[in-house]
Amino acid sequence: MLLAIFGIRLVQRDTEFLLRAQELNLWLPTGLYWKTVMQYPGGAASWIATYLTQYFYYPWLGTAILCGLWLIICLLLTWVYRLKGPWMALTTLVPLALMACFVQTGYWLFYQKLPGHLFVPTIGVLFAVLCLVIQHLLDMTLPAKAARWSRLVWMALVCIAGYPFFGAWALGATGLLVASPPTPLPRRGEYIPKETEIKPQAKVTTSLSLGEGSGVRLFGVRLLLALALIAAVPQIYYQRLFEMTERAFVYVAALPSMRYSQDSFEQYRLPYYAIILAFLLLLVVSFLTNYLKPTTIKGIHSPLYWRGVGGEAVIVLLLLFAAIIGVSTVWYNDVNFQKELAMNRAIEDGDWERVLTYARDGSTDVRPTRQIVMYKNLALFRLGRAGNEMFNYPEGSTPQNAPWKVHMTQVGGKLIYYHYGKENFCYRWCMEDGVEFGWKAETLKFMARTSLLNQEWTVARKYLDLLKKTTFHREWAERYERLLATPDAFDLQKAEAAIRAGKPLMDEQMTREFLPIMHMMTYPDRLDGDNTLVEMYLLQTFAHGNGDDKLFQEMTLLCALIMKDIDIFWPRFMKYANLNPDVHMPRHYQEAAYLYGHLENKVDISHMPFDKSTRDTYERFMKFNEQCGPMTEEQKAVAFYPQFGNTFYYFYFLVRNQKTN
Amino acid sequence: MKILFHKLLTRLYTPLSNRRGVGGEAVLCLLFLTACTSPSVPTTFEDSPTLPSIYPDYIGVTVPVNIAPLHFHIDADSTTTDFVTRFTAGSEQWTLGGEDVRPGLKKWQQMKDAALAADGTITVEVFTQSGSTWQRNKPFTITVSRDSIDPYISYRLISPSYVTYEDLTLNQRCLENFDESLIYGNMINGDEANGQCINCHHSQWYNPQRVQFHVRQYLGGTVIAYDGKLQKINLKTDSTLSAGVYPTWHPSKPWIVYSTNSTGQSFHTRDVQKIEVQDTKSNLIFYNLETNEVTPITRDTTDFDCFPFWSPDGKYIYYVSCHWEKRDTVNMDFELIKNYKEVQYNLYRKPFNEQTLTFGPRELIYDAVARNRSVTLPRVSPDGRWLMFTEGQFGVFHIWHNTADLYLMDLTQAQPVEPTPVTIYSPNSLSEDVLPPMANNVDRENIADSLREAQGLRTPLPSHIRCITELNSPDVESWHCWSSNGAWVIFSTRRTDGNFTRPFIAHHDGNGHFSRPFELPQDDPQYHRQFLRSYNIPEFLSGPVTIRPQEFAALIKKDATPAQLKMK
Repeated sequence: MLLAIFGIRLVQRDTEFLLRAQELNLWLPTGLYWKTVMQYPGGAASWIATYLTQYFYYPWLGTAILCGLWLIICLLLTWVYRLKGPWMALTTLVPLALMACFVQTGYWLFYQKLPGHLFVPTIGVLFAVLCLVIQHLLDMTLPAKAARWSRLVWMALVCIAGYPFFGAWALGATGLLVASPPTPLPRRGEYIPKETEIKPQAKVTTSLSLGEGSGVRLFGVRLLLALALIAAVPQIYYQRLFEMTERAFVYVAALPSMRYSQDSFEQYRLPYYAIILAFLLLLVVSFLTNYLKPTTIKGIHSPLYWRGVGGEAVIVLLLLFAAIIGVSTVWYNDVNFQKELAMNRAIEDGDWERVLTYARDGSTDVRPTRQIVMYKNLALFRLGRAGNEMFNYPEGSTPQNAPWKVHMTQVGGKLIYYHYGKENFCYRWCMEDGVEFGWKAETLKFMARTSLLNQEWTVARKYLDLLKKTTFHREWAERYERLLATPDAFDLQKAEAAIRAGKPLMDEQMTREFLPIMHMMTYPDRLDGDNTLVEMYLLQTFAHGNGDDKLFQEMTLLCALIMKDIDIFWPRFMKYANLNPDVHMPRHYQEAAYLYGHLENKVDISHMPFDKSTRDTYERFMKFNEQCGPMTEEQKAVAFYPQFGNTFYYFYFLVRNQKTN
Repeated sequence: MKILFHKLLTRLYTPLSNRRGVGGEAVLCLLFLTACTSPSVPTTFEDSPTLPSIYPDYIGVTVPVNIAPLHFHIDADSTTTDFVTRFTAGSEQWTLGGEDVRPGLKKWQQMKDAALAADGTITVEVFTQSGSTWQRNKPFTITVSRDSIDPYISYRLISPSYVTYEDLTLNQRCLENFDESLIYGNMINGDEANGQCINCHHSQWYNPQRVQFHVRQYLGGTVIAYDGKLQKINLKTDSTLSAGVYPTWHPSKPWIVYSTNSTGQSFHTRDVQKIEVQDTKSNLIFYNLETNEVTPITRDTTDFDCFPFWSPDGKYIYYVSCHWEKRDTVNMDFELIKNYKEVQYNLYRKPFNEQTLTFGPRELIYDAVARNRSVTLPRVSPDGRWLMFTEGQFGVFHIWHNTADLYLMDLTQAQPVEPTPVTIYSPNSLSEDVLPPMANNVDRENIADSLREAQGLRTPLPSHIRCITELNSPDVESWHCWSSNGAWVIFSTRRTDGNFTRPFIAHHDGNGHFSRPFELPQDDPQYHRQFLRSYNIPEFLSGPVTIRPQEFAALIKKDATPAQLKMK
């Protein structure tokens, strides 16, 4: 029930996150991919996890798989730990801890280097639980003496054979096997004494050693063996097999690193500790409920004591409640993050109006991130409304809600570069990210498209062929692959001539996507660098750029406007007017010209046909400014916003210190 | 153990992945069912006049007697339902089925033996079935040469990336089979907070016991393995530009000449060449491993000396150099970025005196700048007769220049030449207006150069130098290495897709001519189509480097021994 509620909640609330998660994932059914992940201990866990992450292509399907796996874990734990009655519900503590691992992700989605990181904890825990199940099956089927030995052998096998495939999760499984509960069912031919016949001490040892009097000793042997295995196996593998893992990290292989740059973020490790805690709790409860009775151990408030008064249910509910609160607390919830994801998908869908709908959303008073502002500007530009509406939306430079500095290049910068015709820079950051964070469907898609636009057909095919091997991106790749047959489609002049002749070389959707980008690529090559600052780079290069293409030229004007650079503005304003003689001069351009004309007398604006509203607004702005004379700039920003927030005048005087990333 | 483990895993996995329309277990079951039947050549078929489309393209290539099997994939459209390939050598025949043609090691050896016993060729016939019709493509041959090739190559695997460098590895590959192993990978010593770059591996005269490579940034230093002794040296001194960069070992003595470089890179906004790597300074240094001493060889700040290579007799150092005098008031980095097309390198050499360990004055042996060209990577053949280099339009880092081609100089006819005065030649002397608009940079530059040559603005190619057209492609050809017997060369090229560098091998007939080159064979023939990393600096080795990555890692964790500066 709890899992179902979680699943519904996850799909409802985090659909965008789930969709992006599968875009930022790549599973390939190739030997090379298998070999690549298996370079590191725990590669199989990543392999399975990346395979399953694909299913978030349909968020409900991926979520169902996730919840299904958690349900299996619960059921197996119930069986392994012999939990009955209300105590059974405690097995959900493990999935709750796994939930916490999942829902805390946030911007780690872009920065986590472990392939399949969203599913890896679940796969790892499932592996460990299956190891417990197999041990119990062995206990049940083998004679007592053989079972004792089988436990040691199985433990060694899990650690030695499991480590290359499951990394630290195999070490965890080894630890679980040490303290595993006794077999839930009698072994073949075993005599089961009545409860009253067993002395408490004997019961305790039973739980530790399969009913032998030397239980504590055997437990000690198991413990020592496990410790030796856990300590030695990773080191041996380091020496003999895994040549790409830092020695210090062999014990945490296949765990998400939670490190970025120079910093380590301990708070994100808490859910992983919670997994361990949940298992310990299950073990204790199993021990208490199966082997201790209040009548035999006086003074201890054992579960049996509480049974009569419904105390068990109360304890279980309290524990579950605490766990749910914990999950809710770590569940990443950030309006800007959600908006960025949603806007990103809307741009990929070519639905520019939807982008603006998200940008307009004023349900909270949180100021937008620069990325949101840039997405909004891009949408307005592509709709041809930037000159009229650019300042109708909230401005802001709220940093992304992550404890490290989020770089736009690693989040939405590639998409922005792609649409502004900076294909080499989009490609570059895809390559950089591919190297640093691993290859993803999203980066391959960008690389395929930028290669098409750069007319690099062979390498475009390479990326498309890789995407065709994926489970869900094949169709996408085939759609773009068809363009390889019409290379002229990526020659702007030929493509437009074909459109004019009524024989377009691409379908309508592709034309809508590619044609504006080709217009934006009408600039000469030069050597350059963005220093990871997407917005600054675009502003600088466009504002100082010069072109005769109408779309490109308008971008130079827009950037000059945002840069508030008067000297750069005028030539671009004039050129815009010349290139677009039949277009009514957009409002913000008029405002800038009117303002600059008054601020400096370098350009005679007296004969320019400004709209009455432009002049009136300016006059009102200046008058209001006089009225607000003693106010600080911050106070003015608040006071002016209702009347003038959507004007260039406001942007010029009162929007400052926008820090970009 | 490592190779065995990965082989086992890959063997387990590969059969599934190499089938069309992988469907999982069902495919595996079908494989088991069909494994028992051997493919047979169709009795009736139509002959097609066209050669089959295969990848890698092994049509008409010459291969060494000890090369690994040439596995290839037959590219066919979706209507093709079945594939049969027949190999014929002498009177023997072998038949293989499937679109991936993968003769095993034993079978391949039988083919090569049979070929050598006959006329030296293996004839390959590809039969494809569409509907009920079988078709045979025009057969092609693979020539087996009796010249063997060094059994190993080393290379660096790197994504053609820009700034980041995770998962950077120095690898070695046995050319006689498909075994690949790690020499050293940067992830064993690097972590999130401490990145590490590794580069410029090089061995002394193909000897895997005498190798060196650099580690940059975290735990940086130059790692030198010499007959079992491992050292990590800091080659940077107060009087040298940087630590050692591009190395060349003396053919027999424990001496290494390095370039020292101050290198930067910038990014093309539109050009598909994408990156320009430039030196703003570079010199040469001499390092004596016995005494741990560094001696500067060149120190002129207006000459960028780079890519040294020691001649096999040890008497000369060949290297390239660009003369650049600062022109503007902007800083040097920006000046060079702004004028990157005018940064061009000539080919020089310096005589070396083994007794005094000194170098004589430089001799210009190829004035490439006079031809509006720039050369890099001089490499002399083991017999000392041939010098192969890479020539491109500009710059020194030709792996990013699609004008880069391989050239061959006959050293028996090479004489020092006088440099052409820079005032006579100007790279920008030709108006852009006279050039036809072309998308292809290479064509455009070639036409421009022809026009310049006609106007006397560019000197013709000297007669003892030739462009190795049989090795070159419209895309990049760069880093090359002669085999120890001089019968083979391996070089880097981006001909397959323009972005990812692949090693190609070609046979040298001893007279300056080469056979059609072939791509490094892989077990999975489509491996390079999927592989998203480039091969850097492929170099032959006479055997494997036996020092394990963990041993290198332990050494690298230690502090580097500082080299002592010795001024002459």
